[in-house]
Amino acid sequence: MDRRATLARLVGRSRSGKSAKTVSSLDAISGLTPYTGPFGYEQAAHLLRRACFGASYQQIKEAVNDGLDVTMTKIMNFSPTDLPTPPVNYYFTDDVNTPIGETWVDKLYSGAIPGLRTSRERSLRAWTLNLMHTEGISIREKMVLFWHNHFPVADQPDTRVYYSYNQLLRLNALGNFKSLTKAMTIEPAMLRYLNGDDNTANSPNENYAREVLELFTIGKGPLAGPNDYTNYTEQDVVEMAKVFSGWRSRVVPNSPPDDQTIEAYFTLNRHNQTTKQLSHRFNDLQIPNMGDQEYAFLIDKIFEKDECAKFICRKLYRWFVYYEIPQQVEDEVIAPMAQILLDNNYEIKPALEALLNSEHFFDTLNVGPMIKNPIDFVISLFKTFDIDMTPANLFQHYTVFVQAYTRTSQMQMPYFDPPSVAGWKAYYQEPVFYRHWISSVTLPFRQNYTNRMLGAGLTVVDDNNNVLFAAKIDVLKFVALLDNPNTADALIDECVKILFPQPITPLQHSYLKGLLLPNGQADTVWSTQYGNYLSDPSNTAAATPVRNKLIALLRGMMYMPEYYLS
Amino acid sequence: MKRRNFIQTTGLSLPLLLNGFKLSAMPKSSIFSAINNENDRVLVLVQLNGGNDGLGMITPLDQYDKLANARGNILIPQSSLLDVGFNQAFHPSMTGLKGLFDEGKMGVVQAAGYPNQNRSHFRSTDIWTSGSPADEYWATGWLGRHFQMGQPNFPDGYPNSDYPDPFALTLGGTVTETCQGFTANFSMAVNDPTMLNQLVNSGNDTAPSTPYGEELAYLRQSIESTNAYSNGIMEAAGNATNMVTYPDTNLASQLKNVALLIAGGLKTKVYVVNLGGFDTHAGQVVLDPTLGTHSELLQTLSDAVTAFQQDLTMLGIEKRVATMTFSEFGRRIRSNDSLGTDHGDAAPLMLFGSCVKPGFTGDSPEIPDAPEVQEAVAMQYDFRNIYGSLLMDWFEVPQADVQNLLFPEFSYIPLMDGCNISGTDQLPAPEMLVLPYPNPFSREVNIKFNCGNEHVRLTLFNGAGQELRLLINKRLPAGEHIIQFDSSGLTNGSYYFHLRLENGRQKTKLVVKN
Repeated sequence: MDRRATLARLVGRSRSGKSAKTVSSLDAISGLTPYTGPFGYEQAAHLLRRACFGASYQQIKEAVNDGLDVTMTKIMNFSPTDLPTPPVNYYFTDDVNTPIGETWVDKLYSGAIPGLRTSRERSLRAWTLNLMHTEGISIREKMVLFWHNHFPVADQPDTRVYYSYNQLLRLNALGNFKSLTKAMTIEPAMLRYLNGDDNTANSPNENYAREVLELFTIGKGPLAGPNDYTNYTEQDVVEMAKVFSGWRSRVVPNSPPDDQTIEAYFTLNRHNQTTKQLSHRFNDLQIPNMGDQEYAFLIDKIFEKDECAKFICRKLYRWFVYYEIPQQVEDEVIAPMAQILLDNNYEIKPALEALLNSEHFFDTLNVGPMIKNPIDFVISLFKTFDIDMTPANLFQHYTVFVQAYTRTSQMQMPYFDPPSVAGWKAYYQEPVFYRHWISSVTLPFRQNYTNRMLGAGLTVVDDNNNVLFAAKIDVLKFVALLDNPNTADALIDECVKILFPQPITPLQHSYLKGLLLPNGQADTVWSTQYGNYLSDPSNTAAATPVRNKLIALLRGMMYMPEYYLS
Repeated sequence: MKRRNFIQTTGLSLPLLLNGFKLSAMPKSSIFSAINNENDRVLVLVQLNGGNDGLGMITPLDQYDKLANARGNILIPQSSLLDVGFNQAFHPSMTGLKGLFDEGKMGVVQAAGYPNQNRSHFRSTDIWTSGSPADEYWATGWLGRHFQMGQPNFPDGYPNSDYPDPFALTLGGTVTETCQGFTANFSMAVNDPTMLNQLVNSGNDTAPSTPYGEELAYLRQSIESTNAYSNGIMEAAGNATNMVTYPDTNLASQLKNVALLIAGGLKTKVYVVNLGGFDTHAGQVVLDPTLGTHSELLQTLSDAVTAFQQDLTMLGIEKRVATMTFSEFGRRIRSNDSLGTDHGDAAPLMLFGSCVKPGFTGDSPEIPDAPEVQEAVAMQYDFRNIYGSLLMDWFEVPQADVQNLLFPEFSYIPLMDGCNISGTDQLPAPEMLVLPYPNPFSREVNIKFNCGNEHVRLTLFNGAGQELRLLINKRLPAGEHIIQFDSSGLTNGSYYFHLRLENGRQKTKLVVKN
């Protein structure tokens, strides 16, 4: 029963609400059957929008040429251990142990140095967004962000723990969910964020125990009785907190002493060494003292519950496909995907690949109904327009991505600062999910960003406000890559294909044509002006009207909410 | 994650439907009383995210010895607590709130919670914002359902002349779940109401009936309503000036804007502000237990609410505004070794305003001699009874509707009282006369009033409380002013001129009889 439609009928909705839904995602169900239909532009663009942070026009056309299998291999088969070089100090001269251009990730941190924390946070955030921009055809960074949303951490003054945590996610981006959970349990950032550092034998701190069950592994079921959440009980929270006790994090000086690492360590006398009694939800399991092996033993026990597989599959589904999971999707997509995960002992890759390779994923009803999250919104523009960062020096490069970070933060998705331990609301909060990204506060920032990127761009200026570097859209470079830029209608059609996930109506086409050819100018005006420009690209007088027309067209398109959808 | 499945397997579980209640069949009268322009009352919700430690905030002195036993490492010395009588003491950083309490402008409901407390932040927040029972999953908010009763078609056709302003505003980046209706959220998010720009809204056409089309329609609707509401919000923000200096905290600046918008004439009924950080598993206090995270949070809360309440008084709108706090749960009776407390159950809920029933509702929480690690404060008042009683007393919602909106077993708790307006803030009623002009048979009347050099707003309302015309909305020089008004075009009936000066207001009736 479609509850929302029923309610909507009661309140007399007729337009633009859920009741208007005549075709629902239910109609798109075809289970996890591998997709065998045509792999044309629409399918390739959909896959790259969802699996990566978008792609340039050439990359999409290359994927069409490659075909689905080859493209999928490119997306999934990165080398897990091939980690990017760490972020560096790009401007902060007061970080006495870290010369400009060198990394700070193993260098002393002191809260007493004003500006040090900020400088490292900027460096790390810029570094992270830059990795998304340069990822190429790969799902890795999108998975790193997925895991950050799944295992959130925040509020850490010592940025080094974020770095270590972030590389852990990258190393395990398509790895084993169970292993990652074990590693995360004793990762310094997590020990600090969820009070593992404070969890001792005499006084357990339940923060991590509760969230590992509710948010990270098995999830909370319906209330089945007092203190019983179907998948676990309050007793399990209390007892598991004891299991996790004794683990802390510390800074270890290396040689020279300015060189430091942060590590997790176990102290037996801080560990609760009694026997822990789990509830009937875990078959009344008793866990004797197992010292520093106990946490891993417990994680294994939690993962023996198949619900863990379904839980993570639903999260992956909401990250890559759509937010609504009606019963049929639960039965025909989530359940078989979870089975693949179980068959592969919680290796993420085969299950995720099955999802992205499925008929369900490529169903046209699943093309477009995802509101791009702010990071996707900001970075996919860089990728779609292939923004050239090569002329930027170190400072300029980092500075541009710090600005990109500021934009994502204004749009309410700051990396390393999710609003809570549940991650961003768009991926869990009923009933509106992705729509949480959209508000009267965030919409102006979205419009401002696209407008800015077609104008001045993200700029680095000197003390006299002279622009030293600008990351911005080069519309002439963009149009030169189109197949058929010299006629107005074909140009518009091609831009629609690149910027929107679904076709537009004839009325919308005429609106866009009015932007390209204002005041009723004839089609030939565009063709002539573009021809003049092509015959002498260095002639500014010929380039100017072409550039202005393209900016008007693209600005109008990127203001349209179609552009916000993936 | 299971909640959607749960909804699907259990089918329709909303009380609206359980009781066979049809929104379209709502009698108009109750709708008008539910959201009546003439009822210009406003509710401000202060959401305390993370689970506020009620025992640390308001300590029951008659249980002090038992608390010393259970949470000695975080317990504040009795000599430092602010004794407010009734065997209760406030946290030492709540001096401002103690002042409000002493003035009779604060009420406390002891041990607010719900049966079968859920100790998950997220699930429990959902329960508090939706007003559902602990074992049911509702996708709408308690205020969203309330608004939807009167506005079955929302958001189609909004804003309109009857409802020119958002029903609710969240000060911050995202809308509030409390106002989620069946098809749309009744709240709008605003950061800075003085700085709102019109969004570009072009190139739209019909959206397809697909999931893609639905999201597209949603985005378009959001852009449209942002634009439609922005001017009114900016205008209201420009109409008034805060009368007190607020502390430099995020919460205070949210409340400052709320005061500005209410005083500026925005017709929004509900405002939601947020203060996060109450999840004090560790470092709730430091070595000196009067300091630490909880102390800082309560200081922020107390100072901000106190400034807000003072501002409301000086703006002359105190009587129109009630403020209520809520948090997803209280914390454990026993502290942990990290100088913190883990997730618990019930906690006190606070109400502020000159119309709230002052003092305590309920008894001191009972602390056992040797509480278990898991033990927390037992519920005395179901929060849904608090919500429902507020709806009845503050927004004049009939009890039968409250039962439909919340739960059939609803039982009323008196939380509001005769309005207690301080001597200093009695609003002077400026003289305003409606004079027939030039003779009693003319359709023209003269409205005569005096003002200082100040902002004047003169409006005409009909008997149903709808604002029909804005006659003056600007600064006028000091002195007597006579405004001519032509009543032709008005149908027979009673009308009201509302005159609002910066420090006073008056209402005068006009009867049109042809």
